[in-house]
Amino acid sequence: MTRLIRAEFAKLRSTRLIYGMAAGMAAFALLTVFAGIAYAGREGNPALAADSLPMLVAAPVTLLSGAALLLGILGMTGEFRHQTVTQSFLVTPDRGRVVAAKLVAYPLAGIALAVTILAFTAAVATGWLAAEGITPSLLDARIGRVLLGAVLAAGLCGLVGVGVGALVRNQVAALVGVLVWVVLVEGLLVSLLNAPGLGKWLPSAAAAALTNPGGAGLSRLAGTLLLGGYALALALVGTRLVVRRDIT
Amino acid sequence: MAARCPPGGRPATVGWGPTTPAAPLRTVEVPSVLDVTASMSGPAGAEEEAMAVITIEGLTKRYGDVLAVDRLSFQVDQGTVVGFLGPNGAGKTTTLRMLLGLVTPTAGTARIDGRPYRGLDAPARHVGAVLEASGFHPGRSARNHLRVVATAAGLPTVRADEVLAQVGLTEAAHRRVGGFSLGMRQRLGLATALLGDPQVLILDEPANGLDPEGVHWLRGLLRHLADQGRTVLVSSHVLAEVAQTVDQVVIIASGRLVTQSTLAALTARTDQQVRVRTPQAETLQSLLAAQGIHADPDGADQLVATSTTTEAVGQVAAAAGIVLYEIRAERSNLEDVFLQLTTQQGA
Repeated sequence: MTRLIRAEFAKLRSTRLIYGMAAGMAAFALLTVFAGIAYAGREGNPALAADSLPMLVAAPVTLLSGAALLLGILGMTGEFRHQTVTQSFLVTPDRGRVVAAKLVAYPLAGIALAVTILAFTAAVATGWLAAEGITPSLLDARIGRVLLGAVLAAGLCGLVGVGVGALVRNQVAALVGVLVWVVLVEGLLVSLLNAPGLGKWLPSAAAAALTNPGGAGLSRLAGTLLLGGYALALALVGTRLVVRRDIT
Repeated sequence: MAARCPPGGRPATVGWGPTTPAAPLRTVEVPSVLDVTASMSGPAGAEEEAMAVITIEGLTKRYGDVLAVDRLSFQVDQGTVVGFLGPNGAGKTTTLRMLLGLVTPTAGTARIDGRPYRGLDAPARHVGAVLEASGFHPGRSARNHLRVVATAAGLPTVRADEVLAQVGLTEAAHRRVGGFSLGMRQRLGLATALLGDPQVLILDEPANGLDPEGVHWLRGLLRHLADQGRTVLVSSHVLAEVAQTVDQVVIIASGRLVTQSTLAALTARTDQQVRVRTPQAETLQSLLAAQGIHADPDGADQLVATSTTTEAVGQVAAAAGIVLYEIRAERSNLEDVFLQLTTQQGA
């Protein structure tokens, strides 16, 4: 099992995808820091202060969960798209283990990406604040909570991504499907079923509760359990299908 | 598995194992082919069965209404190079994918060393496969592709460089596969198959997309691997591609076995054709039939007798006082035999 996980990391390291995503995320993080500082003290936003750092660091977190989801989907469906799955299953005919290795590797990769980008964001924001004459504290408990939420969200979204990929197999269908689900289906379900209370129990709301808990939504723990449940269900059904379907 | 056979010392017999009643061996209704198989199916003893590396029994795959593979049975003996032949769509790829555990059979079994592929302990060390529609990530270099596979298979990653050298891709090791020609991809596929230094190689149309020089190279490689005592099952839809390399052929059409024979027996068929031009073609045909010589009319005044000699046909004609305008031994090429066998089965 260890060698299969190592093989997954070797796959990730040997294409440009992960580096491209990291570069894109870093650019986005720069943009959020810039925007956060530019709009501070304007349009009702609080002015920059020593405790502005958590706000600035938290900005790219949601997109980072999306990146982890994307990574998981691309990692699983890429095997089918490029037909490398044939080789993977020739080497490891016990297909469940191949999917299991991805279920371990991609959440970890998503977390690594999130932590790296958050560290980068914190460094840039600290530097920027310092240039503005503000010395923020890195030992703010809120930063810890941002990091915890980001790690949980990236990990679970990566898991969901691999599960969706195993279920759908077709890369384009999986990407479009997830986008349509998040943008359209969840909202439609709530309004069609006329059940406003349903909303917070759906996957993207559960993911949101990880990074931004409380309010009308779920607590962080409930969100973790719920999204974990969705991820597990997707992974189980997806794995079962991958194990049973013919590879042609 | 490690037994080495000297070059040319590979068993020339066909591995007809005892067939189960549920999965009778199918042969086409061509007398001469039956002759070939009959002469081979004699004392199929226990030793021969112990030699079988690949055993396919009653293998069947149904896709909806389409029977892609229909009760196919054959064996591949240790140390032999077997050509797995049939027209496009005959079921070759489906059969090989079932053998490799990628496609689940509707019925029947496919075993390697007595075990289904999925039951092999270290498949990459045991069996190397090159399949069509088995791809590479276009953004990954050849070397990294091999290192990924080696890592998953638990093989030392230094093997990647060794097999790259073996297939002549060392120069291209660090290039992304996306820029590779079809021939280079085939070489990389072979390199991947060789990673675990397997004793059994299963190759699906490895010559596809290769230029003449590539085909020549492939022949040399296959011969080299066979000379090391490895067992090779290589599919093709062009007999000529493999004719110089294989010891035996398994021919299928429409998912069914047409024949399994040694290449020598198949080649023999090509030399045994006698073409006769005579105004009394029908009479001669029945006279020949009485002597056990099969002949097919070809046009109004010609007969093509198979599995016989000009001497035999001449004797029969002379004895009955039949006038012959022309008699000659024909060397129909191997491809004609192949075409004849596969189209008759498909009809």
